[in-house]
Amino acid sequence: MENTTTDQQTPIILSRIPPEAEATLHGIEVKKTRYRRNLIIAFAVLITLMVATLIIIGLDFKFMIKWVPFILTGIGYTLLVSFLAISLACFLSVAGALGRLSLNPVLNSIATSYVSLVRGTPLLVQVYMWYIALPQIGKSLEDLGITGVQALFTLPAIPAGILALGVCYGAYMTETVRAGIQSIKIGQIEAAKALGMTNSQAMRRIIFPQAVRVIIPPVSNEFIAMIKDSSLVSLMGVWELSFRAIKIGRRHFQSLEMLIMVAMIYWVMCFILQLVQEKIETHMARGDRGTS
Amino acid sequence: MMENSNPMIKITNVHKVFNKKLHVLCGIDLEVNSGETIVILGPSGSGKSTLLRCINLLEEPTAGSIEVDGTIIHAGENSKQRDAQILDIRKKTGMCFQSFNLFPHMTVLENIIEGPVTVLKQQKNEAIPYAEELLDWVGLTEKRDEHPSRLSGGQQQRVAIARSLAMKPAVMLFDEPTSALDPELIGEVVDVMERLAKEGMTIIAVTHEMHFARDVADRVLIMEQGVWLEEGTPEQIFSHPKHQRTRQFLTHILQ
Ligand SMILES: Nc1ncnc2c1ncn2[C@@H]1O[C@H](COP(=O)(O)OP(=O)(O)OP(=O)(O)O)[C@@H](O)[C@H]1O
Ligand SMILES: [Mg+2]
Repeated sequence: MENTTTDQQTPIILSRIPPEAEATLHGIEVKKTRYRRNLIIAFAVLITLMVATLIIIGLDFKFMIKWVPFILTGIGYTLLVSFLAISLACFLSVAGALGRLSLNPVLNSIATSYVSLVRGTPLLVQVYMWYIALPQIGKSLEDLGITGVQALFTLPAIPAGILALGVCYGAYMTETVRAGIQSIKIGQIEAAKALGMTNSQAMRRIIFPQAVRVIIPPVSNEFIAMIKDSSLVSLMGVWELSFRAIKIGRRHFQSLEMLIMVAMIYWVMCFILQLVQEKIETHMARGDRGTS
Repeated sequence: MMENSNPMIKITNVHKVFNKKLHVLCGIDLEVNSGETIVILGPSGSGKSTLLRCINLLEEPTAGSIEVDGTIIHAGENSKQRDAQILDIRKKTGMCFQSFNLFPHMTVLENIIEGPVTVLKQQKNEAIPYAEELLDWVGLTEKRDEHPSRLSGGQQQRVAIARSLAMKPAVMLFDEPTSALDPELIGEVVDVMERLAKEGMTIIAVTHEMHFARDVADRVLIMEQGVWLEEGTPEQIFSHPKHQRTRQFLTHILQ
């Protein structure tokens, strides 16, 4: 918390430090440097071993490089699906959390069943539900005389995938958002009410802006998980990353190369996202301290 | 009723029961005139906070009625305008909490204009001059753009008072505003409360600050187990208490 102030005071403090304490401080510094060096060595050895293994088992690197561009074009779909799905999930989770916290029996029961149902069933099954089972519901409704439903309920693969992922993640995130809202101290709501705010004003102006800070880190974790789970839309034949890799691997009997490659691509993407997440979190921590 | 035709606050036979059986307030009556300063004293758990919170309806009274500046709320009643009336009472009633409860995501100035802008629908630039005036009045002009976490407890409580005053309330409620403060910071908050009383604000304060109770209050009431034990001028209460229990309680807190 007090990082900024100590930074400014460091020179003053140092000038008062007696020599024997300097020695101790120096010792700590040396230890830290040594630890960092050893950590880098350990990582380097690990990576070398991994690469060596890949070479020993005889991976066909030429083949891998040849197909890199083709597979990378799948990133577009992966990112498109993930971004739209996480946006849907954010919207659903806020609505879901308000429902879960609502005293209105209808809203509350809808939100509670949504969370329970979605969290209690495998994502794989849900993906098929949206893609294969929904048209069948449309057909039954159409048979009951509601015209045009079947076409509406027969979704192309990408919208079906976005809905499946968004609805599923929305349920998990509902609980995150709810916990975030509930983590705000009761005194904040009372202060808002004492000023004469309505519940929705208090929610919008006081509770939600504070809850967002609590919610952002877990939500960015969800987004990273979503990037990986978006590979499930390959089940419906969307030419995204993993679908391309698996297709090519099967066709040329070189699945190992393709799978390793696609795994690496996911890893790099998630790694980048993690860096972004850390940036956002440090930025928000600064806002918390109110030095801005 | 005849002698006080227009009290600012009129509490009639208020009961509060928690969890179906914890009877915290047992038929409280209280009338406060405009400009009067009332101090409520009493042992811990006697129901002082609950009474204050009933006045601005943060707590629903189980029975009885609350009237603030002409707006009346009856317990247990369900009418169309009730919610609006509750908001109306809250707008007319400022409340200061023991734990300040400033909004941490806003600067000091934003805290103060939040009520006028969000609740009274004023424009920001309309609300800012008065907020700055209030900041000056509580002596914190230089903290205008700080966040609350950078202020001392005493400064935070003064901002909280300014935040309440920005709504131009008819009544101020204080619930132990100084008991979370280090001793050396109590004075600056009591000083602000005292000036507020001098300027004619109607005040109900739960506080164990003896200087405030003795020298600023017009009337002191002692609460015990949800009823008034004794009421009178500070002189009567502190120099000639009628009840043995009052005497015991006072010697206890004056130690
Ligand atoms: N929301 C609540 N639910 C249940 N019981 C409550 C609630 N609020 C207060 N009480 C109980 O009501 C009683 C009176 O509480 P209150 O806070 O009004 O006392 P107080 O006189 O303000 O005491 P203190 O001096 O400690 O602040 C206590 O026994 C308390 O436990
Ligand atoms: Mg209390």
